[in-house]
Amino acid sequence: MKRKLPVSIRNSPIPSFKQLNCIVISLTKKYIMNDIVIEVNQLRKIFSSGKRKSKSVEAVKGIDFNVTKGEIFGLLGPNGAGKTTTLRILCTLISPTGGNINILGYDLAKYQKEIRNNIGYVSQKGGLELRSTGRENLILQARLYGMSNIEAEDRAEYLIEKLELQSFADRKAKTFSGGQKRLFDLSAGIIHTPKILFLDEPTTGLDPQSRSHIWNEVTKLHDEGTTIILTTHYLEEADVLCSRVAIINLGKIVELDNPAVLKRKIISGDIITLNFENGISLQTASGLLSSESFVKEIKTVDTLLHVYVDEGDSALPLVMSVLHKNNLSIQTVSLSRPTLDDVFLKLTGRKLIDEKE
Amino acid sequence: MKKFLIDTYIILKEELRILIRNPFWVFIGLFEPVVYLLLFMPFLKGVTSAPGFPAESTSRFFVPGLIVMTAMFNSSYSGFGVLDLLENGFIERLRVTPVNRLSLVLGFVLQSVIVLLIQSIIICIISLFFGYSPSFTGLVLLFLLVLLIAITLSSISYSIAFLVKDGGMLASVINFFVLPLFLLSGIMLPLSFAPKIIQGIAMVNPFTYAVNASRFLSDGLIAQNTVVIAFILFIILSILTLQWFIRVMKETVA
Repeated sequence: MKRKLPVSIRNSPIPSFKQLNCIVISLTKKYIMNDIVIEVNQLRKIFSSGKRKSKSVEAVKGIDFNVTKGEIFGLLGPNGAGKTTTLRILCTLISPTGGNINILGYDLAKYQKEIRNNIGYVSQKGGLELRSTGRENLILQARLYGMSNIEAEDRAEYLIEKLELQSFADRKAKTFSGGQKRLFDLSAGIIHTPKILFLDEPTTGLDPQSRSHIWNEVTKLHDEGTTIILTTHYLEEADVLCSRVAIINLGKIVELDNPAVLKRKIISGDIITLNFENGISLQTASGLLSSESFVKEIKTVDTLLHVYVDEGDSALPLVMSVLHKNNLSIQTVSLSRPTLDDVFLKLTGRKLIDEKE
Repeated sequence: MKKFLIDTYIILKEELRILIRNPFWVFIGLFEPVVYLLLFMPFLKGVTSAPGFPAESTSRFFVPGLIVMTAMFNSSYSGFGVLDLLENGFIERLRVTPVNRLSLVLGFVLQSVIVLLIQSIIICIISLFFGYSPSFTGLVLLFLLVLLIAITLSSISYSIAFLVKDGGMLASVINFFVLPLFLLSGIMLPLSFAPKIIQGIAMVNPFTYAVNASRFLSDGLIAQNTVVIAFILFIILSILTLQWFIRVMKETVA
């Protein structure tokens, strides 16, 4: 007796060699030629404290992004935006509430061990054992990735030389300065030459010199082919390092692109920032200027009025004359090219770094 | 399996290395039992003659219980040792590595166990000067029971530390549970002195069995129901609490 094939298969034409070839090519393109190393789909995370639902916080509200091999991908946003939560999920530290994640071809829900073998993570706090020396910390880290004692010592020595840490490598970690600590954190994160390196706010709280030292090392790692994902709330950092930036606010990605493109796409033109003596004149000025044809958009932040215009040089005198005509006195005025800070402000209505902090 | 043993050894060694640099803590943990030995045990002299007192000498009655007491208090405070490691991100750094979660958990727990065994041995040696003369085999088994108690309580203590991440909170949670368990286990005075209702409550306290077993064992009476019950109870408890610690290690948000 002949078995009947299911209808769907019976009716579908057998794919020709050409069609099969097309499928293979498109898959290859997706996974090999484009080299997507991280795929995040509809990632959600709800933190529930206690049993009452009212207390739970949705830290990540369904975000999607892909990261390609060898890029430096930035997650930019203010404190509490969900950057660190996203990173910690990707590093297998906490489990997502919803969504699919694929890292280097491994499904995060199933192959945590395989993922852990291939990624490095430097947390905000760093995680050095402060009672041990820098070198001992590196050796321990190497041992945990399965190196023998001798291999671990060699690898620690190699990184100490490479990052020029010799002068303080054998001191207790608790005596390190912020910058020295960060360099050791970074060394521990790359001890096993991971394919993907996650950096959670790598330079927060560092002086400018240490910051550029870290930036140098990150750039070197990038040149060696490591894919890097970092979170930051420094726009300068994202601007200098990242090939692409996802701007995150309140658990959602508001915009994702190359930093230069982002700046052009969001704001073409210049920004005139006016500082008023009081709120009333600010309100009046805001009303008056928004009806002017040369003004593209107006945003108010505290006592500041941001006026977005095409040509700052020619618009500034016009703005001044409008204010003068209406007897509105201002304290200061400045003209600036857009920065990622402005992009963020325009997208979210929030400043990236809270000035009260 | 080999990798699992090596990983456990690496973490245990790291923890012990830090401890050896600062052996002060091993001795701090001995202060309390020694004070009890010097300042409390003499009080018992007056009650040995009281009707219903189970042993002829105070040391035969009190020292085994003192060993269990040290196990109870010292291992239930082991969580304090990881609070700063949680705070500075060291635990998180361990959790991102491919190391087996059981290895991570055992590394910490075994460190507490080793410290406690050293402390127990020192207490026994000191007690010899106070007329304590235990049976050797019994004592070995007693140390095995202490090991199980240490696994149980340090796992609980670490888990709570991971969950509350705060010294004050940890201390109050621990005190809330350990103090009543301690008072209801008959370590200080025989339970036969207590009113019936307290005796009844003490029967559901696993530490009552541990304390009674510790007295039998140090007298060399091994084939006792109480001894068997105590071992079964603490084997089960140590497995359950270890599993809890593994779950916490997998899921905590540090």
